[in-house]
Amino acid sequence: MQLMISILYDCVYHSAPIILAVLGGLFAYKANVLNIALEGMMLNGALFSVLTYYFTRNFAFALLVCLLTTLLYGLIFAFFGVTMKGNVIIVGLAINMMSTAVAGFILVMMKSSNIIIPEFDVNALKLNIPIIKDIPILGPILSGHPVLTYVSFLLIFLTSLLMYRTRFGVYVRVVGESEDAAKAIGLRVDLYKYAAILLGAVGCALAGMNLALDRLGLFTNSMVAARGFIALAAIYCGRGKPVQSSLYAILFGLSRSLAVNLSVYAGEASGLFDCFPYLLMIVVLGAASYVKYKNVKVRGFQV
Amino acid sequence: MNGKKLGAGLRGLLNCLIPILLAFLVGGIVIAVIGENPLNTYWVLLQKSLFTKVGFQNTLHYAGPMILTGLAIAVTFKANIYNMGVEGSLLLGAFFAGILGSRMTGNPFVVKLVCLAVGVLCGMAYSLVPALLKAKLRADEMVVTLMLNYALAKVLEFLTTGIFRDNGSGYVCTPMVSESAMFSRIFGKSRLTAFFFIVVAIWIVMTLYMRRGRLGYEIKAMGMNAEFAEATGMNVGKKIILLMLLSGALAGFAGAGWMMEDQYRYTLTFSGNPGLGWDGMLIALMGGHNPVGIFIASIFYAALKTGSDKINMYTNVPKEIVALIQALIVLFLAVKFIDGRFHLFERLKGKKGKESKTCS
Repeated sequence: MQLMISILYDCVYHSAPIILAVLGGLFAYKANVLNIALEGMMLNGALFSVLTYYFTRNFAFALLVCLLTTLLYGLIFAFFGVTMKGNVIIVGLAINMMSTAVAGFILVMMKSSNIIIPEFDVNALKLNIPIIKDIPILGPILSGHPVLTYVSFLLIFLTSLLMYRTRFGVYVRVVGESEDAAKAIGLRVDLYKYAAILLGAVGCALAGMNLALDRLGLFTNSMVAARGFIALAAIYCGRGKPVQSSLYAILFGLSRSLAVNLSVYAGEASGLFDCFPYLLMIVVLGAASYVKYKNVKVRGFQV
Repeated sequence: MNGKKLGAGLRGLLNCLIPILLAFLVGGIVIAVIGENPLNTYWVLLQKSLFTKVGFQNTLHYAGPMILTGLAIAVTFKANIYNMGVEGSLLLGAFFAGILGSRMTGNPFVVKLVCLAVGVLCGMAYSLVPALLKAKLRADEMVVTLMLNYALAKVLEFLTTGIFRDNGSGYVCTPMVSESAMFSRIFGKSRLTAFFFIVVAIWIVMTLYMRRGRLGYEIKAMGMNAEFAEATGMNVGKKIILLMLLSGALAGFAGAGWMMEDQYRYTLTFSGNPGLGWDGMLIALMGGHNPVGIFIASIFYAALKTGSDKINMYTNVPKEIVALIQALIVLFLAVKFIDGRFHLFERLKGKKGKESKTCS
């Protein structure tokens, strides 16, 4: 029973950063911009949140710097990808390389292989919700997470609203579905693409902050470990719908928490458990696209 | 007609030189900001890698596997298949070539041949997974290959720390390959081995194949419009599998070669940072997916690598700055500066250019 509770608690814990990245990346997907820079932006969010907190000891300031720097990457991405009409995959790749290089550079400048915030109490950040925490089984699972984790789950519904109930959401989807139609009715296509990409940057900044500062209080250069790409896979599988895509993110969180919790019992083979989440994502992606194209009867190969 | 062709060549050259210059410019600003002399740094970077005999031979040595990974990326990227699995193919090929090389002794020629063949087979087996998923289920190959790379890295880490670990060594690695599986240095002082010349031979074959063969044409057709290619009777699904296999084979060969000419054993940092497969992607982009371009780009890129080791020795600039410059090159390469947006070329040619354009 205790194991069960700790698996589910970890599931929530591991899902949160991916959900944040998914919710950010959704808009770019809907606006028909393939944003593989999620990974690099997340790394940047992790780096600058920890770095700023290390020097200032101020959460609000850390959040601000982390948002601003990640937005800068978003702007670079949008400028090169949308305004200059560059190949977005290559631009995204460049952003990923750049954020790794910047992180490596800063780590060298600080003469350390990682940034650890001294005397950082992770438990102090955990928020217990008054009534829920006393419910027998649900309490220990749902309560006792850092703020951004709660925010991530709340944002699922807010993103849904923004996407389907506001004019902005409709316009973003119009731009994605048919750029010509959007132009014909007088929408400023580039503006909506910029907005979608920048929303992605915000999501990734929060995801990075949740991943590095909120949960661990440290930064290493390899800590994102493809979570950005996993978010992208989740978006693909969920076809850009906020709730469905988030469910895929939670699925990854669950597999990750299973891998972490069960590897204790595996002994020698515990190292192999780490690759389970990635393989699961491949299987899910394969199944999702099979279902999607199953009924396509037209001959032809749309890449 | 001839002039037009020359113009296109010049345009391509400028399109790849301008991003490099811009990247060096931004990198120079960063170097200046941390209080070092950018010109001096760049001089060390280039002089130690291209203008000394040993340095240049080392540069060629580093360029070898990059030419192969560059080609591996180009054959898929040009056909609009975004195969990020080159790094994985390379690692898997290298790992098993290394394991086999450490167990086998005997005729050096046979041992080398078997090891390289195993590398190629492993690379192909690895790239077959995303290829089948793409061709049969239409799963997005980019996401699949990226996920597979991480899964593979974990598996290889597990194997290296467990079953295949060399217990005699102080750090995590597999046993060293046997004497007969090693390519020995030709010139003694530099690291250059015979493997580089094998690479050149493969490069020539690939160049001819992509220029004159059917494959090059099919790659181009698929890259331009896969639906149209299918409509004219090409079996695109089958071609995707074929190209992915070719890409995996090249990458596996590169991995096995790198194992046998330089590293001799698998370590957790076998292909460096960001990894030879990723270097290949940059090279393919820089060379415009064109074999000749790839060859030149890998020499240039390898020079950056050999030079970056020297930067630490002669200046106070951290060599991470080279990684930043690489990222900037990729970023600027994404945009075609010359004719994509600014029509700079037409402007440079001025009125005369415009006239000749209307004539032709």
